[in-house]
Amino acid sequence: MRLRGDRSMEEEWIPKITLFCCNWCSYAGSDDAGVGRKQQPPTTRTIRVMCSGRTDPAFVLAALLEGSDAVLFTGCHIGDCHYISGNYKAKKKFEMLKEVVDELGLEDERLQLQWISASEGSEFAAYINKVTEEIKAIGPSPLRQEWMK
Amino acid sequence: MKIGDCVVAWSKDEELRKMGASGGLVTSLLVGALETELVDEVIALRKISEFEGVPIRTSDTDEAIRSAGSLHAAPINLTKFAVRFFEEHPDGAIALPVKPCDCRGIIEQAKRRKIDMDRIYLIGLNCGGTMDPITTMEMLEKMYEMDPKKIVEEEILKGKLIFKTEEEEKAISIDEVEEAGYGRRESCRYCGINIPMMADLACGNWGAGEDETFVEILTEKGLRLMKSAVDHGLIETAPAPEKGIKIREKTNSVMENVAKTWYEKVFVPIEDRSERMKYYMDAMEDCIDCEACKYVCPVCSCDESKCIGFYDPMDSHKISIYHLIRLLHLADSCIGCGQCTDVCPAEIPLTILHKRVADRIQAKYDYIPGIDMKTPPFFEVE
Repeated sequence: MRLRGDRSMEEEWIPKITLFCCNWCSYAGSDDAGVGRKQQPPTTRTIRVMCSGRTDPAFVLAALLEGSDAVLFTGCHIGDCHYISGNYKAKKKFEMLKEVVDELGLEDERLQLQWISASEGSEFAAYINKVTEEIKAIGPSPLRQEWMK
Repeated sequence: MKIGDCVVAWSKDEELRKMGASGGLVTSLLVGALETELVDEVIALRKISEFEGVPIRTSDTDEAIRSAGSLHAAPINLTKFAVRFFEEHPDGAIALPVKPCDCRGIIEQAKRRKIDMDRIYLIGLNCGGTMDPITTMEMLEKMYEMDPKKIVEEEILKGKLIFKTEEEEKAISIDEVEEAGYGRRESCRYCGINIPMMADLACGNWGAGEDETFVEILTEKGLRLMKSAVDHGLIETAPAPEKGIKIREKTNSVMENVAKTWYEKVFVPIEDRSERMKYYMDAMEDCIDCEACKYVCPVCSCDESKCIGFYDPMDSHKISIYHLIRLLHLADSCIGCGQCTDVCPAEIPLTILHKRVADRIQAKYDYIPGIDMKTPPFFEVE
């Protein structure tokens, strides 16, 4: 519990991470992490999509420009897609987008792809912990406007 | 005549032979295609002055004849005109003269189902580069000391840029004028594709004599086009001399080497990440949201443009999302034709920005856009 006048918490910068979750696996995976009471930092803003293949690269660019410090693509493991080939398409989009974002000068950690299934709650929590630490280490995104909180 | 043959050809019509560049062959082919009803319409460049040409789509042979002659200082890409034709006449056929970059644009559009390759006749033209009209006029006044209005003919020959008026003729080497910042457009300087081997016919004056055109027949369609003109008594052909073929090859390799040197000069890699970000931010800062680069782009093919859909003039982003989406969309298909830089009212070096991103991805996937019908990496899902 924070005491009045204790400003130590405010000084620490907390990253904002946009997380695209596939309805059929990683969204259920994050649910599983909650049900299993796995600790994870409150840094993510989850957006549920029906399939990781639905994550348009334009969404990612918009998220980065609107003040996200990192964007995560999560979906079913290759071969497990509910719609047969959606995650292959997601992978392709990610690869192309990664090249563009890298050429623009953003760090590798700011855009990541991870396959998480519905039963991998602990993996999900561990992954969010890991990414939050990474982003904390590299600091705010250069695309974020100074006034964006 | 058969596919793979190299011939020299010229127009039988004496007047046309004098009027058109290199024997008026291309004009005759267009007229032949119209007269034999091989195509419904042709696209040609109507000459306004030595520095201005307006693309027209016509089914009138007289109009096609009036378009005879080459224009080096009218950098226009005809791809979008061909796309418009197929939008209006999905079952029609069209013939048009193409530079290598027009041709690459058309092939990229065909991959995106905007153009039917079976019903488009591409008369390829060798291209050593085009020039920007305004800078050319400035160059004429400063370096050549000639009046731009009096120019009647211009030519690129043996590494020299030649301008002719009624009275005089002056030649200065291309290296010299480009050193001074004039000459060919920047995108033409580093373009290494000079002979359009992906078109139906590859025409040009490299390796041909006075008032005749060197033609390589590349496809079935090209053969049909040549035959229709020969049968109709419009052109005359002769087998190409061995010497001509060698000269053409040599000219091509010289141009390729020049392009390589320019490429290294223009595209200096920026190693540091934060500097790279600053470079893109600074370059795109001047954008006034006119969207001209999108309209003119020969490979841009969305029906409802995503780049505009996601963009709002009220956004206060550090880089315009319009440009980021365009960078991504053109990542596999950018042919570096330079149209976006030409039309940009804010003078953003867009072609260089697009090409910096695109070259990386094209190298990674080993894909060169517009030279064959290979599936673009974006569409290739395992």
